[in-house]
Amino acid sequence: MAKTIMVVDDSASLRQVVSIALRGAGFDVIEACDGKDGLSKITGQKIHLIISDVNMPNMDGITFVKEVKKLANYKFTPIIMLTTESQEAKKQEGQAAGAKAWVVKPFQPAQMLAAVSKLIMP
Amino acid sequence: MDINAQQVNGICTLQMEGELTIYHGQEIRDGLIEHLAANNEIELNLSGITEMDTAGFQLLLAAKREGTRLGKIVRFVSHSQATLDVIDLYSMAAQFGDPLLISARQ
Amino acid sequence: MNMDQALQTYIEESRGLLDEMESILLRLESEPQDEETVNAMFRAAHTIKGSAGLFGLDAIVAFTHVVENVLDEVREGTQAVNGELVELLLKCCDHIGLLITVVAEAGEMLDMEQAAAGEAIAAVLRSLMGGAASGVAMPAVQEPRLDASGGGPIEGDYWHISLGFGPDVLRNGMDPISFIRYLSTIGDIVSLRVDDSELPELNAIDPESCYLSFSIEFKSEADKKTIEDAFEFVREDCRLRIFPPPSHLAAFVERLEHASGNTDMLGQLLIEAGILTSNELEDALAAQENTMAAGGGAKLPIGEVLVKEGVVQKEVVDVALEKQRQIRDHKAQEAKFIRVSAEKLDELINLVGELVIAGAGASLLAHRSGDVALHESTSVVSGLVEEIRDGALKLRMVEIGETFNRFQRVVRDVSKELGKDIGLEISGAETELDKTVVEKIGDPLMHLVRNAMDHGIESAEARMAAGKPAKGSLRLNAYHDSGSIVIEVADDGGGLKKERILKKAVERGIISPGQTLSDNDIYNLIFEAGFSTADQVTSLSGRGVGMDVVKRNIQALRGTVDIESLEGHGTTVRIRLPLTLAIIDGFLVGVGKSAFVVPLDMVLECIELSDADRKAADTRNYVNLRGEVLPFVRLRDQFEVNAAAGKRENIVVVQYGGQKAGFVVDELMGEFQTVIKPLGSVFRHLRGISGSTILGTGEVALILDVPALVQLGVARDEQMVMHGA
Repeated sequence: MAKTIMVVDDSASLRQVVSIALRGAGFDVIEACDGKDGLSKITGQKIHLIISDVNMPNMDGITFVKEVKKLANYKFTPIIMLTTESQEAKKQEGQAAGAKAWVVKPFQPAQMLAAVSKLIMP
Repeated sequence: MDINAQQVNGICTLQMEGELTIYHGQEIRDGLIEHLAANNEIELNLSGITEMDTAGFQLLLAAKREGTRLGKIVRFVSHSQATLDVIDLYSMAAQFGDPLLISARQ
Repeated sequence: MNMDQALQTYIEESRGLLDEMESILLRLESEPQDEETVNAMFRAAHTIKGSAGLFGLDAIVAFTHVVENVLDEVREGTQAVNGELVELLLKCCDHIGLLITVVAEAGEMLDMEQAAAGEAIAAVLRSLMGGAASGVAMPAVQEPRLDASGGGPIEGDYWHISLGFGPDVLRNGMDPISFIRYLSTIGDIVSLRVDDSELPELNAIDPESCYLSFSIEFKSEADKKTIEDAFEFVREDCRLRIFPPPSHLAAFVERLEHASGNTDMLGQLLIEAGILTSNELEDALAAQENTMAAGGGAKLPIGEVLVKEGVVQKEVVDVALEKQRQIRDHKAQEAKFIRVSAEKLDELINLVGELVIAGAGASLLAHRSGDVALHESTSVVSGLVEEIRDGALKLRMVEIGETFNRFQRVVRDVSKELGKDIGLEISGAETELDKTVVEKIGDPLMHLVRNAMDHGIESAEARMAAGKPAKGSLRLNAYHDSGSIVIEVADDGGGLKKERILKKAVERGIISPGQTLSDNDIYNLIFEAGFSTADQVTSLSGRGVGMDVVKRNIQALRGTVDIESLEGHGTTVRIRLPLTLAIIDGFLVGVGKSAFVVPLDMVLECIELSDADRKAADTRNYVNLRGEVLPFVRLRDQFEVNAAAGKRENIVVVQYGGQKAGFVVDELMGEFQTVIKPLGSVFRHLRGISGSTILGTGEVALILDVPALVQLGVARDEQMVMHGA
């Protein structure tokens, strides 16, 4: 059974490209447009990895990660934070919240897949 | 994660079902301790394990060593693909293998 | 969507490549020894794998990787081609096709049976290669695997990775399983040993903590940084040690020895050579700080820390330390230098020149006065002045080595560009010459070097065919020879082809058809403007512009250039330059009331012109010098000195560029140190005079341009001989 990855980002095109790459590598993907959307879609699912942006409307990435880590079913789930070069502080904050992996924007699909495959296999 | 115990001819067969992962580490550990204390010979049937991670792997390894320490027999049988993958990746078939039953998967 | 379109292209491309592979395989059965076919097949697999990587199609990458490895062995000839292998490779094609279909119908997965079949093929391929690689092994082969995993480190040319995880990795959602699996996408895990010695008893286990360590023998072409990057997300949560394969060590040491010298910091040196990663250095520096704090202020050298922490082997650190010492020595040497503006130096040398002249004047007066004490004291002064002159000259002299060394890189880059294997040999690097000359010789040398590599040295195939080693050799050499510095650019290439040069020279109208020329003259034709003999004009040495420019540049430095070539064996271009442009040791001669200076380095001997020779010399311009024909030039005639010939005449025998000639003069006035005063532009066209100088008496003496006069003498001599014949 294919493993499932949740992609949380407010950019639809980013979600799509990442989804295409991930599906191509054999993962199932659930897309969410912000932290709030992500939290609402996460329950009742079996998600193996979460990829989340930092800056999003409604609920930002850091809060989202903190909320996810409170959920019994997801407290050990790996989270990849999408940071930018200039957001070293955000990256630290994300790591403290529990997102131990990161990919720096902008990235190639292959870079994302490399980061993902360091954490889970399809 | 469910552990179903069955006594047959003095052997305790533990049928493990579901995910042998960090999310269920505590209950698996406690279950293993309990059954090891109560039985002299344990057969862990791994056929129902859909997923195993390093946390789960450590527990199986510790259970095997605990058995040796207590002079009891701990055996793994009917490995599911999920468990075989990890055992193979870690090159630990010696501790986990049961050649007879492994070949049954063919 | 763009990705989709790109993916579609990939799918079609791969299917095309697969078809190609299949037809090659079918052909291979009938002609198994064909090297090119095997190559084509390898390339196909390689392309499929490469592009799959671009799209992150790991399943295809993983599978084609194994296929590619086997094909590589076939290519290398270590894997025999037989019906069985062809059969197996055909199956591989089918499986790759299946994987590509999966990609084409995104989201589709292989069913269990197909996946198992693929794994089975991969397993057979791996067993062919003899290396026990990762993957699901068959139970039958599990027993020997156990022995291997239980033993000590397996000997072999592998990376050794030691990986100790901190207790929190699992809690953080990081699983060693994933990292190790990821590792197998950038190489092959040859063996892996789990160290569970830290695992406590069952009832003492925290099920969420990690207790395991791993040691991995890893076969990969990846560099250390790439391997380290596999663990970037757990860097703070694990103790990682990566030891390069033994074969890499030699390469590291070599890279260390060729370090740029930009840094003399040990850590930076090791990073530059690819031995250490910046993360490792950071950790080691932190460890250094810690030990310093703990050890009461004593700071352990970073090299020792790296060895103690097990990051770098001691042998490598030793090499790095040696290199560091060298660089520091070099820097220290540099520190001993004082930077002086060239202008100040020129001024000093000019003054020294005046001093030399004044000194010579004083000596002359002292000599004439007949006062022995004065004569003695002026000769002491002259001796000192001579030393000062030499010292002042040396100030401007630099070794040519640095100029030569720049060509290492040029040769490396150009040979890559040309696809030729060419080595550069340097000799005479310590030969010194004037700084202004060095500055101006760079461009002509560059052109000659490029030309030799492009046109001189043949392709590897042509060389092999001619029975020469495939690797071409280019030699830069420098030495001092009779007051000049000689710089040679020699190649062991095909040599100049006289016929071709002649043909071209006639085509270009440089010479007229039927003209007889000596070998030397023919070779020198390539220095004529607009001459190129290469059949193929390349971007490197252009269209024949340049060789004439080279000659002009060298002539502007009062130098000459000539060529020696043996067809099939190579060409040597020899540049001859004056050591310095400022001062020369001269030999003063007189013709009538005029004084001339011959550069002393070129004077071989002086002989008296016998009466017999004087008579004979009226009709011919050569004398018999101990059985040798010595052409000569009468300076009286050459410079139209209007004074009756003296009672006696002398010949000054000079040598330049391997040719001898004589100058007929009246009076020999002895050695004379002199400063060259360049001639004004009015006299630039004057042949046979290279400059002027002022005598101690205030009179002007002309400095003879020996090369020009020698040529003149030799040419006249040849003419006479020809006329005589």
